Amino acid sequence: MSSAPEVVFAGTDGGAITDLAAYEAVGGLTALRRAREMTPDQIVAELDASSLRGRGGAFFPTGRKWSFVPKPDQNPRPHYLVVNADESEPGTFKDREIMLRVPFRFLEGCLIAARGIESQHVFVYIRGEYEHEWEILVSALEQLREAKLLGGVTIVLHRGAGAYICGEETALLESLEGRRGQPRTKPPFPAIAGLYASPTAVNNVESITTVTPIIEMGGAEYAKLGVEDSTGTRVFSLSGNVVRPGNYELPHGYPLRDLIHEVGGGIADGRTLKAVIPGGSSTPILTASEAEKVTLDFDSLSKAGSAIGSAAVIVLDDRCCMVQLGVRVSQFYEHESCGKCTPCRVGTRWLTHILQKIESGRGTHADLDLLLDVGDRINGTCLCPLGDSDAIAVASYVAKFREEFLQHIEEASCPFHGASSLDGIVAPTDVHEAHVGPHEIHRPLEVVA
Amino acid sequence: MSDGVKVTIDDREIEVAKGTGLVETAEAAGIEIPVFCYEPRLGPAVGACRMCLVEVEGLPKLQAGCTLTAQDGMVVRTAATSKRAAEGQHGTLEFILVNHPLDCPVCDKGGECPLQDLTFRYGPGSTRMTFAKLTFDKPIPVSPLIALDRERCILCYRCTRFSSDVAEDDQLIARNRGAYSEIATFGEDPYRAPFSGNVIELCPVGALTSTQYRFEARPWEIQDVPTVCGLCPAGCNIRATTREGAVKRVQSRNHPEIDGGWLCDKGRFTYPHLRAEDRVGEPLQRGPLGLEPVAWDAALDRAEELLRGARGTIVTALSGSETNEIAYGLGVLLRRGLGAHSAVLDESTSAALDAFRAPLSTIGDAELVVIVGDDDVVDRAPAVDLWLRKARRGGAEIVTVGARGSVPAPVGGAADALRELTDPAHDLGKRLRTSERAVLVWSGPGGGGGARLAEAAHELGFDGKPGCAAFHLPATPNPRGVSEAWAAAADGDESDPEPIGLLVVSGDEAAGSPDVRALAEQAEAVIAITMFHSLAVGWADLVLPATASLEREGTSMNLEGRLQRLRRTVISPVPDELAWLSKLAARFDAELSPHAAVVFEELSERIYGGLRLEQLGEHAALPARAAYVAPEPSRAPGAEAAQRAEGHFVGTLRLLRYTPLFSGHQVERVAELQFQRPEEEIALSSGDAGRRGISTGDVVTVRSNGTSVELRARVDRKLVEGVARVADEHAADLHAEVEVVKA
Repeated sequence: MSSAPEVVFAGTDGGAITDLAAYEAVGGLTALRRAREMTPDQIVAELDASSLRGRGGAFFPTGRKWSFVPKPDQNPRPHYLVVNADESEPGTFKDREIMLRVPFRFLEGCLIAARGIESQHVFVYIRGEYEHEWEILVSALEQLREAKLLGGVTIVLHRGAGAYICGEETALLESLEGRRGQPRTKPPFPAIAGLYASPTAVNNVESITTVTPIIEMGGAEYAKLGVEDSTGTRVFSLSGNVVRPGNYELPHGYPLRDLIHEVGGGIADGRTLKAVIPGGSSTPILTASEAEKVTLDFDSLSKAGSAIGSAAVIVLDDRCCMVQLGVRVSQFYEHESCGKCTPCRVGTRWLTHILQKIESGRGTHADLDLLLDVGDRINGTCLCPLGDSDAIAVASYVAKFREEFLQHIEEASCPFHGASSLDGIVAPTDVHEAHVGPHEIHRPLEVVA
Repeated sequence: MSDGVKVTIDDREIEVAKGTGLVETAEAAGIEIPVFCYEPRLGPAVGACRMCLVEVEGLPKLQAGCTLTAQDGMVVRTAATSKRAAEGQHGTLEFILVNHPLDCPVCDKGGECPLQDLTFRYGPGSTRMTFAKLTFDKPIPVSPLIALDRERCILCYRCTRFSSDVAEDDQLIARNRGAYSEIATFGEDPYRAPFSGNVIELCPVGALTSTQYRFEARPWEIQDVPTVCGLCPAGCNIRATTREGAVKRVQSRNHPEIDGGWLCDKGRFTYPHLRAEDRVGEPLQRGPLGLEPVAWDAALDRAEELLRGARGTIVTALSGSETNEIAYGLGVLLRRGLGAHSAVLDESTSAALDAFRAPLSTIGDAELVVIVGDDDVVDRAPAVDLWLRKARRGGAEIVTVGARGSVPAPVGGAADALRELTDPAHDLGKRLRTSERAVLVWSGPGGGGGARLAEAAHELGFDGKPGCAAFHLPATPNPRGVSEAWAAAADGDESDPEPIGLLVVSGDEAAGSPDVRALAEQAEAVIAITMFHSLAVGWADLVLPATASLEREGTSMNLEGRLQRLRRTVISPVPDELAWLSKLAARFDAELSPHAAVVFEELSERIYGGLRLEQLGEHAALPARAAYVAPEPSRAPGAEAAQRAEGHFVGTLRLLRYTPLFSGHQVERVAELQFQRPEEEIALSSGDAGRRGISTGDVVTVRSNGTSVELRARVDRKLVEGVARVADEHAADLHAEVEVVKA
């Protein structure tokens, strides 16, 4: 196990702190008190000094994002802080653990952040399936309210209704406003015209929770953790074929090899490592040998052709069929495509069909070319990154494991012969097959009346 | 151009105003950026279809051109000069066609389909898609008017955006997601809203089609005739699609100042009344067995006989839906030829409003709009309702003063309300005075045809402010044109003969009016000029067939005071009114041309300053404002004053009749529009309903002076106390005071 300092989970001793007194006993609320003596600019300056970058996946500097929000005298409309707790990227389960174990640190971060952008209104958009997490937050918020610690800020805990797309910030805002969850075109960016066309900062749960220790210890101190360009710690969601899957808070720059073999206890069942998806399903896959070399930070993973994403490390052992993985991942994006823009709506479904054809042994070489070409036509032409994610992920499987795709085509069947397993990696393929969709016409056309 | 920006598109430099959309900028440079979802009238671009992909220098990814505005120094490459953009657009079309059924040969849209056109220009000639296309049940009746083919739908969301962002009826929605997204209404309810038909025109494919037009024609065998809608005083510009001499559909002909390219469902779907079963196709004369067909020559002889016999005691009931030329022709025959100067016309409009004349689009740009009167704007002039919604979306404050207003007022209290507004101490009045973008609207009966409105606008200092305007919404399409043309035909004073020797009833609105029927009771004989048999039965001695607005050549003046040209879109099954009016006039030594164009020339010499028809053009301009001339004061002081209801306890209620948009002789004759007609209901204030123990949905008996009807009650929280609101067609013979009790 790692002996790295914990920041997000500090003081929890592996457990959860859901009682306000217990939270104060481990130093909770000191950051909030300090922040209330600081000006908003000073808060943003601390964030800048910390070099905190967004933990949702885009890794955008949090302080800079806040500085885009106009001052109240520049824009008199209400300012909003919206926290993205719609964690849904396959392999990612860190925000739920943060909300379960350190709800007060998270809410304290909300209050500090609200002050940083001079907002009185916080909306937490929480994934619909996270019912228990929502209840924990409701209870923590109630305790803060009773202790009169909200300082005039309202925090709304809004539950989503089960759509991955609502983790995209503008779709989240649409959904929050009561409309169909579909991304907006940008610009305008949320900082200028976000929720209810007002200045809005949208931040991830982990980013906001990290704001608390940053104010507590000072931005410069926080920046000493981790590595350059990727400061601080990160909650890594380790999943897949490892002995000890789970969330681990580690400093950026931690070797991926050590996360798998030491922290995670190595590959389960005596199998060998085949590949790693390092930052959630939308990030390009790494082969075992690439995985041996990288460290878990922005630079190292970018250089390796992947991304740190949401820090969801998915470990795949030698039983995994890459085509099957492609089918499953593509099915996810097909199922979660909102339907607004054409390339994603149609393209993700098309990718799935081609992958299924190859997986079932009916594919041709032309299909493999078509798969990449359709992906190319999706990538870069969509309204938001959802469609791109599918195309990029699938393209990386082909690029790194082309032989396996060719084997499917040339042998006209899956080389794993049913021994392939996505167990522990992603939900079984059939879970989402029974989607609600159109059905075939069984009656003649009628002219309506 | 002072605040112009220079943009280079496909190596061509163009200067446009800052903020111009890139699609429009390219258009100005003669370059096409193809689009499906982009439609500026629906609000900000959504960038959904990705048809408009272009390459912008300095940006790594292809951009959705529709979401961009022209920036100085921007360098853009479209598919014409950029391989990447061309591939992007090619890709978009390949994606769109993956699930599109390509059933163009049997699709109504085929031949006038943007998807077909753009595929031809930018798309692939073949597909690489080898699996089954998505299929859906089809067609789905979105309403009796609109059929939805979900397989053809390319999910551009134009229709749902219209529903939520323009008409604001929020009835058409997208449900499910991803590839399975589909257009639908909530709970399969029909799309029942005043402007639903616009989604058919907006649809860039054949997904939303008109049930009336479905399978009726192909684009290469139709002819579109430009004309003006004659069903309300807005005068929206339309084009009638005709095939083999019949109107097959009506579409908008976008006059940006009047209708902004939208049409109400009444204007769009009512044309089948031209072929109504009970249309009068030949003259009818009262005989022993009722109305019997009679030859034209005999009919004219009979008309001459009736006219001569009643000389000096003739009264003419005008409809306000005649063209200016027909009204003038009637004037020539009756006034010039017979000296019969007496006429009745419901709700004319005052010329004093010319001092506050402005395009209807002025409302859309207003910051403050005050509407007085008891009628909903949408019932009187639907296009105005859309401008009001646009204004409110733009941040305008809309104040309604009336029996259902945001400021409650007693029934008929509009004139009082205006008087109060002109009080220098009145808060809202003060804001009207200081605003540069304020609009007054009169939406109800009475008011001296807008004279009171003109007085108020003058008092409030609207005269010199181009952004301030006043609009009177009359009940009929052309009351001002008709009254002015009638007046122009001859000089002479009204005599109000008693008894009336002959009542000449011109048009269906007059024929259906209870007031005109009452006059007929006192008349010895009646000549009715009407389109429909049932409107003439039982009271007319001679029926002369009328034409419909879509069959007329001539001019009409809308509520703005704009003179517009009507075209004969199809040959009428009956002779033009002017044809037989001229023959009749000749028998009384009055000269009248049978040709509308000639009649207009004569009329124009008299009242339109010699304006020629061709000067009106296809998109008529609005004349400049006139100097304010005070209208005649209210003839009977107090006549227009509010009739305050007395006794709010269980007792009688004042009946507030209204004419819903989807009513009238034309609408009644269109099968597909029946679902839009008003419910058989009576609206009561919550207080009045509560005191009577009535809740929404209860059946109540409404009694007055010995007549009674049963209606369903609806509690209307906006309605003032002491009032019962019932649609005209369900108010039957009820008198002004009614008793309402639970049945």
